[in-house]
Amino acid sequence: MNIIEVKKLNFSYGDIPILEDVSFAIKKGDMVALIGPNGSGKTTLVKNIIGLLKPKSGEILINGEKADDYIDKIGYVPQRFEFDRNTPITLNEFLSLEKCGKDGHDCKNIDAYLEKVDLTAYKNKRLSSLSGGQFQRAMIARALLHEKEILIFDEPSTGIDLAGEKTVYDLISLANKENKVTCLIVSHDLSVVSSFTKKVICINKKIVCQGTPNKIINPKTLEKLYGVKIGLYHSH
Amino acid sequence: MQRAILAGIFSAGLLGYLGSFITTRKMSFLGDGIAHASLAGVAIALFFGWAPLPVAILFSAIIAVFIYFLENKANISSDSAIGIIFTSGMAVGILVLSFYPGYQPELITYLFGNILTINQANLFTIIFVSFFIFIFLLINYRKMVFITFDRNGAYLSGISVWKQDLLLYIFSAISIVVSIKLVGIILVSALLVIPSSIARIFAKSFKLFVLISFLTSIVLVFFGLLISYSLDLPSGATIIIFSTLIFALSSLFKKALNYFK
Repeated sequence: MNIIEVKKLNFSYGDIPILEDVSFAIKKGDMVALIGPNGSGKTTLVKNIIGLLKPKSGEILINGEKADDYIDKIGYVPQRFEFDRNTPITLNEFLSLEKCGKDGHDCKNIDAYLEKVDLTAYKNKRLSSLSGGQFQRAMIARALLHEKEILIFDEPSTGIDLAGEKTVYDLISLANKENKVTCLIVSHDLSVVSSFTKKVICINKKIVCQGTPNKIINPKTLEKLYGVKIGLYHSH
Repeated sequence: MQRAILAGIFSAGLLGYLGSFITTRKMSFLGDGIAHASLAGVAIALFFGWAPLPVAILFSAIIAVFIYFLENKANISSDSAIGIIFTSGMAVGILVLSFYPGYQPELITYLFGNILTINQANLFTIIFVSFFIFIFLLINYRKMVFITFDRNGAYLSGISVWKQDLLLYIFSAISIVVSIKLVGIILVSALLVIPSSIARIFAKSFKLFVLISFLTSIVLVFFGLLISYSLDLPSGATIIIFSTLIFALSSLFKKALNYFK
């Protein structure tokens, strides 16, 4: 069953077209990567899916319904999360901003999810004391805590070292496998894309290619997408 | 004096509470802009012989809506939108007052603040407005914190972000205007900024930050008023200088505390 369906989507900033006739579908429980060169419309596409931008034409369906009716089931982790770092807000307060469950009660199992992402010691610490990797883990904990069905990450490993990046992707994988959360990851990191995802969608204003990582991650397709010759090195 | 203290406590509490959100969202200039633009409302009321406070409240609410729509619908940056309204409001105020002959003591009260001129009707307006806004703020506390720290997350959770933002603008404008007699148009925005800046030094969580900002504002205004009354000084200027002094001492105290840790 498709959880996200994008049909003939067009979006432009003024007269400048950003997305042209974009169509694809993501199955429930899939882990999908969205790749493309800078300025190809990846973030714009994500913002259209979550309703932060309104398409010029086309349709976006979540679980077969209009996306607007389903947005509270989507968790979104932006490329940069900006907040006033001098203002005191604890991790616990940040995780409790959204109420839990259909009846909107206070979240009771914060501790369990903090333990899962190894942030128990930070519960009452300031949000600004978290590193980039820890913050991404906190965002994953928040999404799981609020039982989001779809998680969208916009370049989740930006500014994180290799060890931190692996931890983040392992947790995204775990959320996908254990909690059956559908994940859409915008990424430039082709090694991550081939190791962690089941499907890759390539975009450069239009859909250039889509399929399994094995089918997509090859010099010919990547040259078509990025417009330059790309060599791939496989570790054994 | 009792009336002055009561009015001071209500408006100070309101500005202290709102200040914690406004400074975190980096909207401090909004306070200055609305206060200055409200001069037009005061001038129009004085010209027609109406009660200045209710007219200024209505006028400031309209200004807040206008600033909000300039920022969000006309794609004008926040500081530009406030800058335009700020100066236009002052210009209208000055123009209207130029038709009003002679010395205007009421105008001086609004410009520089004199809480001792607060009458029974002003006090009733301040208490009623403060009570109403406080109820809104307390009911919407979680939503406001959510929007302050994660606008996209708040939107995705189903919160009507634009509605909450617009109400925050309107209620901030009204709170600023009801406090004008306390410290004056020129100085009122300091009560949005200084208590929350003191609270930021000591608070370890956001809940505590809001609470300290709220209480600090009341304490600063209470003692500022006492000092101004006993030394026969202008209330607005005394409150602000006293508050700035406490902010400086708090910063030094915190630095010393960190040094000796």
